[in-house]
Amino acid sequence: MPKKTKILLVDNDVDFINLNRAVLENNGYEVAAAFSAREGLDKLRVEMPDLIVLDLMMEKHDSGFAFSKSAKADPAFKRIPILLLTAVGQATGTEFSQNEDGYWMRTDDYAAKPIMPEELLKRIRALLERARQEGE
Amino acid sequence: MAETPHILVVDDERGIREGCRRIFEAEGFRVEVAVDGQEGLAKVEAGAFDLLLVDLMMPVMGGLELMERVHALAPEIVMIVITGFATIETAVDAMKRGAYDYVPKPFTPDQLLAVVNRGLEKRRLSLQTAQLLAERDRRLLEVAGERSKLRTIVNSMADGVLVTNRDRQIALWNPASVRMLDLGDAIQAGRPVSEAVPQAALLEVMARALAPESAQFTTLSQEIETGGSDRRTLMANVSVIRDENAEALGVVSILRDITQQKEIDRLKSQFVNMVAHELRAPLGAIAGYLSAYLSSAAGNDPAFNRQMLERSLQRTQALTELVNDLLHVAKLESRSFVRRKERLDVAPLARATLELFKSQAAGRRLTIEEHIPEGLPRIEADRSEIELLLTNLIANAVKYNVEGGKIAVGLKAEGPTLVIRIADTGIGIASEDLPHLFEEFFRVQRSETQYITGTGLGLAIVRRIVEANFGRIAVDSRLNEGTAFTISFPIQEDH
Repeated sequence: MPKKTKILLVDNDVDFINLNRAVLENNGYEVAAAFSAREGLDKLRVEMPDLIVLDLMMEKHDSGFAFSKSAKADPAFKRIPILLLTAVGQATGTEFSQNEDGYWMRTDDYAAKPIMPEELLKRIRALLERARQEGE
Repeated sequence: MAETPHILVVDDERGIREGCRRIFEAEGFRVEVAVDGQEGLAKVEAGAFDLLLVDLMMPVMGGLELMERVHALAPEIVMIVITGFATIETAVDAMKRGAYDYVPKPFTPDQLLAVVNRGLEKRRLSLQTAQLLAERDRRLLEVAGERSKLRTIVNSMADGVLVTNRDRQIALWNPASVRMLDLGDAIQAGRPVSEAVPQAALLEVMARALAPESAQFTTLSQEIETGGSDRRTLMANVSVIRDENAEALGVVSILRDITQQKEIDRLKSQFVNMVAHELRAPLGAIAGYLSAYLSSAAGNDPAFNRQMLERSLQRTQALTELVNDLLHVAKLESRSFVRRKERLDVAPLARATLELFKSQAAGRRLTIEEHIPEGLPRIEADRSEIELLLTNLIANAVKYNVEGGKIAVGLKAEGPTLVIRIADTGIGIASEDLPHLFEEFFRVQRSETQYITGTGLGLAIVRRIVEANFGRIAVDSRLNEGTAFTISFPIQEDH
């Protein structure tokens, strides 16, 4: 039996983790969770997930960027795709766009928060598929 | 001068007196006579004459002495000498004493009238001149007064005023504009404004106002950053000054320092952003649960389905609390809110509030210690606010406690203050979190606090209430040992 795909959820909202853990498990994924960027980096080492779902605003307003910067700087984790969840665009009234040079942009995809479970599933599947193709 | 000339004839010869009277009355003049200098002087003192006809040789007070005294008394009266010995010497003497002319005796009526009419003409002219001079003096005073008044007003204005002519040379300014634009000694009347004012944005808007296509009555408004060490934001209202033919004469710029308003605006938007963020998190969670429930995205486990609905309900309740707290904050901030201060006995209020939390505390097996003695002095405070303060602090002591922990609520009089102490044996607060404790929406983020709901406004509200009622608050906390809040309010003595 092949090993299950493992998703690491990093978000400080208890209910986000609670709900999406159930949804992802129900769809055949294995789930690990962390409630802060710091805890997320610890879990990263232990769990070695296939994909990370990362909240931008946790302890600080840019905790997600700090997490992705550390993760992407480490050769052991830099190939793990990160899906960044953010409400920044809505909060500031600006379009959130990815930029190659900014460290905080070093994620692989982003989605606006709040995100419904079905949409999250779709984004995870697409990102995993993209990573698989790039890996071949 | 009255319409009818008023003439006094002073002569000791009756013939001359009556002759003159007839001649002058025939001309329509009003005439009075006196027999000597003394009587003449008395009449001059009593009545207003335009012209005096004086005989030099008289028994009691001669003509020269009379003229001298009249001249001192009423220099505007024209004096004409009647002299029987028309020598150069007496004429010069008379002129020195202020005589205008003389009539040699004997004279014909025509000769007399010619001299007198000249004198009256002179009198009329000098009266007119005096009137004009008086008017001019009065106007000058008025103009000078207006100028200095305006100058004083402009100089005293809190708003900056800067006026240039149409060639953009500085015409007028006040100390406020020099201070706001940091002009120092650069400002001088007649100097091109571009050499004195460093703020390009202000120069640009002045130029725009003066541009020929600029509408006739527009005022251009522009925010201006002053630059320099003390960065301030000014609002410049620039208007064109026009004459009656709508020709532009120059521009007047009124400057107002809006740095503080901008900062308040910024804080307000920041607060609104934080509120939006705080509202979106629970709404997102509720929408996620309901969406998963309806689509069975998380499967169909009845226990989990029920849990999703329960969590949705809890987050909804938390949202209600947040909205209530936001209303409390708005009320505490509102200037129109009237604080209903009274001489308040805090003890029964503290006991009653504690009572409300007893079942919740029992659910977590918390012990409550109550140190609330009788007969404590009263404070002056708003009852509902102190109630809210106690509720928020006791709620925190319950929420952030550990199973089987302890809560202590104590009241005591200490010098001029009443001290309220609310302590718990809960999870405590890390020292790096303490400075942020009373900030809006600050919540300690630890694994222990994840499941504790809160709005992040409770302590912000407490701080505001303490300040509004002239109290002080201190917090003493150790990580994993507990937290104690100590609040003191001034005691209100019995009157």
